[in-house]
Parts: sequence; C-alpha cells; structure tokens
Amino acid sequence: MNPAIAMRMMGADFLKIRKKLGTMIWALVLALGPVVLVFLFRELHNSATAGGIEGYEDSVTAVALIIGPIAAILIGTDAGAIDNSAGVFRDLVVTGRDRLAIFAARVPAALALCWLIIVFAYLVAILGTFAFAGTNPTPDSSLLLEGLVFSMFSTGVICVVAVGFASLTNSRPAALTVLIMWHLIASPILANISSLGSPRKLLLSQAIGHFSPFSSDNGGGGGHHDAHGVVLTMSGGTAVAVVLGWIVVFLALGAWRTRTMDA
Amino acid sequence: MDSSSPQLAIETAGLTKRFGERTALDGIDLQVPRGCAFGFLGPNGAGKTTIIRTLLGLTPASAGTMRVLGHPVPAERAQALERVGAIVEEPRFHMHLTGRENLRVVAAVRGPETFARIEPALARVGLSERAENKVKSYSMGMRQRLGVARCLLADPLLLILDEPTNGLDPAGIQEFREMIRAMVEHEGRTVFISSHLLDEVEKTCDAAAIVDRGKIVTQGAIAELAEGGGARHELVVGVDDPERALGLLVASALVAEAHRADEGIRVVLAGELPSAAQLNAELVRAGVGVTRLEPVRHSLEQRFLAVTSRLDAELVPEELKA
Repeated sequence: MNPAIAMRMMGADFLKIRKKLGTMIWALVLALGPVVLVFLFRELHNSATAGGIEGYEDSVTAVALIIGPIAAILIGTDAGAIDNSAGVFRDLVVTGRDRLAIFAARVPAALALCWLIIVFAYLVAILGTFAFAGTNPTPDSSLLLEGLVFSMFSTGVICVVAVGFASLTNSRPAALTVLIMWHLIASPILANISSLGSPRKLLLSQAIGHFSPFSSDNGGGGGHHDAHGVVLTMSGGTAVAVVLGWIVVFLALGAWRTRTMDA
Repeated sequence: MDSSSPQLAIETAGLTKRFGERTALDGIDLQVPRGCAFGFLGPNGAGKTTIIRTLLGLTPASAGTMRVLGHPVPAERAQALERVGAIVEEPRFHMHLTGRENLRVVAAVRGPETFARIEPALARVGLSERAENKVKSYSMGMRQRLGVARCLLADPLLLILDEPTNGLDPAGIQEFREMIRAMVEHEGRTVFISSHLLDEVEKTCDAAAIVDRGKIVTQGAIAELAEGGGARHELVVGVDDPERALGLLVASALVAEAHRADEGIRVVLAGELPSAAQLNAELVRAGVGVTRLEPVRHSLEQRFLAVTSRLDAELVPEELKA
C-alpha cells in the first residue's frame, strides 16, 4: 500500500481515539494518578526521601507495570473496536480498501497515543524524582533512559495485544473487562501459584518484567520484578519469545477476524 | 471470453447467498444499466440488503458471479469499488466526531485525492455550515445527507443506497428525490436504490427489479413493469347503453378483451393506444353515446402486489409439502 495512504489512515485512527474524551481522560488519570500518588504517599511517609532513585523506581514501576498498562488497554481496545462499535467498519470496507490495511492502521495509531500519554506520565515521574529527592541519590541519565524505554516497551506490548484482542472480540466492553481482569487479577494469581512451575513464564507480565531496569540481575537468569513483585527466572531469549508470541498471536487473531467477518 | 457488458453498472448471474439452511438470495440474475436510477423493490426480508452487502463484499456470496462497473467481484473488488459510494442500511458515523472529521476518516482510507472532495461534498448536501458540529447533534435527515456526502467522496459512477428515505420527513424525501434525479440526469451517475416504498421507487427511478424471497420476480423499465411487462393498453369506456356497447366491443377487431366494471366497461386494446380513437368512432357510428374514454394507468404498487401475492400462492404447496 502507498505509504501516504498508510499515514493518512493511521492519522484518521489516531483522530478517532484522541477525540474520545472519556478514553483520553481515563487514560491520563490512570497514567498520571499513580505517579502523583506514589510521591504523595512517600512524601507523607518520609519527606526527606520521597523522591530520588527510590521514588523513581516506584513511580516508573507504577507507570510501566501496574496502572500504565490499564491506560494502554483502554486505548488499545478502543482502537481495535471503535469502527465496529460505531458501525462504520462496513463504510470503510466499501471503499474497496483491503481489510488488513484497515486493521494494520489501528496498531500504530494506538501505540502513538498510548506512548504520548505514557511519556507524559514518565516526565511527571522524573519531575517528582528530582523535586522530592531530598537526601536521596538521583538516577543517572542511563537509568532515566532505561526507565523511559521500559515504560514504552511494557505499555506498547500491552496496547498492541489489546488492539488485537478487541479486533478479535469486536466488543470493546468485553475486551476491556477481560484484559483488565487478566492484568489485575488472573495473571498475578497464576504467577503466585508456584506449583504451576515453568509454564508461568508464558505469562506476559512475567516476560515483560524480565526487562525491568530495576532488577538486581538483568543479565539473564536472575530475579526480576513483575507488576506484583513476583520473581520468576527466565532467560532473555525466553522473555523475548514470550513477548513476541503474545504480540503475534493476538495480532494474527485480530487480523483474521477483521478479514473474515461479515461487515 | 469476457461476456460482461460495459453498459451495465451491476450484473449478477445466479447469485446465491445462504445463511446456514436459509437461502437469502436464490440465483439472482440482475442487470442494472448505467446512467439511470434503478429501484430494487421488495418487501422487508426479501433479500434487498443481502444483495447490496454481497455486491459490496461485506459478506461473501455462496454461489454465482457478480460484476460492478465491469469488474468481477470479489476478484477485482478494489477497482470495482473505487468509484462506488454506498449507504448500507442506515448511515452510521463516529458520533463523537464532527461531520467533516467523519468525512476525513473515510477520505484517508480512499486516498489522498479524496480530501479535495470533502468541502464540495458537504456543500452539495447543504451541510457546510454544520460540518464542525459533532454528528451526535445531527438529525436523521442530516445524517442521511452526510451519508450521501460520504458517498460523493468517491466521485461515484455508481451510488448504492439502501432504504435511503427511511426516517426522512416529506420535505426531506422530496429534496432527496431531487438530488437523486440531478445525479442521474445532470451528472450521468447510476443510482441503485433498494426500497420497500413503491411510491418512492416509482417517482424516483427509471427502471426497477422486484425481488421477493430472494428471487427476482421481474425487472425492467418502471412503465413496463407497471403494465406487466408487455404493451398492454387498457381503457375505461363510459357509454349510455352498456349492454349494447359491450356486445359491440367484444366483436370489434380493435379489442382483445372487454368486460363490465364498476366504473364502466374495461377494454384491453388489441393494438396501440391510438386505436382508441377508432374504437370511439365505431361506437359512435353504431349509435352508442360515449361519455368517457380514459386510458387506465397501472401503478407499480398494483403490479408489485400482484407479483408478490402470486409468489405467495405458488409457495403454498411447497410449504405444505415441507
């Protein structure tokens, strides 16, 4: 497809989500709220060490692993199901444009919007880190960059999975409910059932957590943080494979449904 | 060998669509000429929307072939739909976007050249001043008009409109009808209108097909359809001596059929309508006073009810067998 058309389509999808006031407000609240709460809580607990490297770690973990992903799910599910919910998918199909192209435009649009919000929340986290540093040491530029990349990576992966899943279900409420329940309840519970053994490595949150810059050993094989503090050991290759697996499977399912369904 | 006609906007052969056990379209052979308003007439549930959805590739056909603007569908679907604008069922939009933004969304999918058509399309349907309002604030009539504007983004050679006057008030219907006629007469576009409103099709369209239970019952020019497909000229004759006049008429070579009716004597001419003057002269020469000689105008509604009720009657034994 012509790159100019692809860009226009992506821009149109971006517009559709950006103009949904409810989604945007909630995504911003969910991305920014935890950052503010982290520093508020730490300030009340001990004003001398509210910020600094510890405040940075807590706030970036909130953005990247706990509540930021909910904002990513909000945006991803909206991008995946917005045309069908509004009943305009058929109007896009009757243009003659390939259905896969219509599906493909949703992914970068959702990512762009998701990252815009996450980067904004991350900048607030940095502001808090330095403003409330007190006597605490502050993160160096390398850790600041790693934190940003990790926040974008984590929320980006979840956002893409959400686009695919919402395109598969064609129902935003259903996709939203299932993914939030999975992220906040099912996934942490499964990660905590040690009797499940190594299959727990297939959990997306565990694989993403492997790349956290706040681990004591992120060179491979060591312990890592996931959203709820569970530590699982896996190699970098396994983590990459699991993350790619989730992305590929859900994008493929979403694309298949978009291509084959009656519009 | 390619047997398609370049004169046809839509051409289907044996088009069949099944939903499980139910056959929604049953071997449809449809020919829609270019440059006319073509009505696709049928009662609710007859298969009107299904054929539109199949033509547009919204749902796959179970059997048969289709051509849209000369291109086989689905093989050349993208080329076929490049110059097609369609409203399927009611026009739907992103309610949280403005009218103009909704057009931008579709223009982005159609291609960069389409953006230049947004403002003219809005102006054409009279929505320029409301284009910055969110669609959720639009009336049904305004949404219909915005739907037409969305179709115009394709600079369409063929417009496919599914029940386009649903929800419009009489003034809106009249306005819509004028717009359709202008598109056909002044711009040479083909407009395919599905409707269950006989009056609407009769007033707007040049030709039509009547569909019922997934089958085309008849198709042709509106006047031909109303007459039953043949050159059948009927008169109502008012006379001072009906008994004698009926005898004369039955015996006349100019008359194919004559019988008494409430309004006078109903006569089916053997030839063309001008022979009515000769018939008048015959009666007068025979000393019968002629008080009325009026051609009978058949409405599409009569024809529609006749063919659909005939289908009902034909189906009864099958249903009983089942």
